[in-house]
Amino acid sequence: MKLRILLADDHEIVRRGLCALLQKREGWEVCGEASDGREAVEMAKKLKPDVVIVDIGMPSLNGLDTTRQLMQHDPQFKVIVLTITDSDQVIREALDAGARGFVLKSDAARDLVSAVEALQSKRMFFTPRVNDLVLAGFLDKGHVVTRNEAPNLPTLTVREREITQLLAEGKSSKEVATMLNLSTKTVETHRSNIMRKLSLHSIRDLVVYAIKNNIIQIQMPAQNHSAPETTVA
Amino acid sequence: MAVRILLVDDHPIVRQGLRTLLQGRGDWQVVGEASDGIEAVEKVESLQPDVVVLDVTMPRMNGLEACRLIQQKQKNKDSGLEVLFVTQHDSPQMMREALDAGARGYVVKSNAARDLLEAVESVSQHRVFTALARSPQASG
Repeated sequence: MKLRILLADDHEIVRRGLCALLQKREGWEVCGEASDGREAVEMAKKLKPDVVIVDIGMPSLNGLDTTRQLMQHDPQFKVIVLTITDSDQVIREALDAGARGFVLKSDAARDLVSAVEALQSKRMFFTPRVNDLVLAGFLDKGHVVTRNEAPNLPTLTVREREITQLLAEGKSSKEVATMLNLSTKTVETHRSNIMRKLSLHSIRDLVVYAIKNNIIQIQMPAQNHSAPETTVA
Repeated sequence: MAVRILLVDDHPIVRQGLRTLLQGRGDWQVVGEASDGIEAVEKVESLQPDVVVLDVTMPRMNGLEACRLIQQKQKNKDSGLEVLFVTQHDSPQMMREALDAGARGYVVKSNAARDLLEAVESVSQHRVFTALARSPQASG
């Protein structure tokens, strides 16, 4: 039986590259492609793939929250997170969200096949940087960093995180309500709860919070280039 | 007409994606790949491609600097080489800088699957092709 893989990345060019890489392996097939996290969750529920590969920096629903929603729906989902950064916080959040694999995009051509193989064999796959962090946590605290203990952040529900991303991307409460099939009043209530929990006072504060906590990512300028960009990636 | 193309991006998976797209044209040939600006400048010298597909944000030397250097070195050669940027920067300002650096084309990565073939076709015929995320625009 074929190993079925679902890919989620907002850049078609990256999905093409990943497809070409994965489909070289006999017995593997890409059963679906999603261009944002929300689409990935819907497709995963429908297609029930053996492995889901998600990019962290996707619009509408980022890869970490996509992973959280997938694990909440079915903890048997095997998720590999693709990322451009291996900062401690991103690693901790990916582990906390329930990812079983963590691969840097820059190393995907080298590591992704190994990562899928590991998950296929019911093992986990992390870049050496993650192994170092887990080991450091073990040595520092006498135990391995585990779920729910690393990020020292106010707890938002899955729905609140989802709404935080959409608001930080510039969507109005009405637009969020339409996207999530909620009433505008319900979104406003979530919005108030988010602002209160995070002690924020404006949308500007919310955007800064979302960037700092990898809920949205900003597009970085070219090196030695004078004009920074603030486009949401 | 056969078009010889050099692909430059620091992510191998993106180069693979670009290569897959370009394979749709049997008469075009990817003659080489580079992962940063310095390597790109070297490979332009050794491979003499017709079109360089160039990323902006790369380690060691970014695409804008590489483009300026490539144009400077090609100035006296009458090679007909053209540079096409394929970048994540969906920004008119960055597009202007790219064209000022000597590029003939500018495509946003999120729309590369839509725009790349048309862009390579245009710049290989020395026509300008620029496309931000919303709409492509080709001109002579």
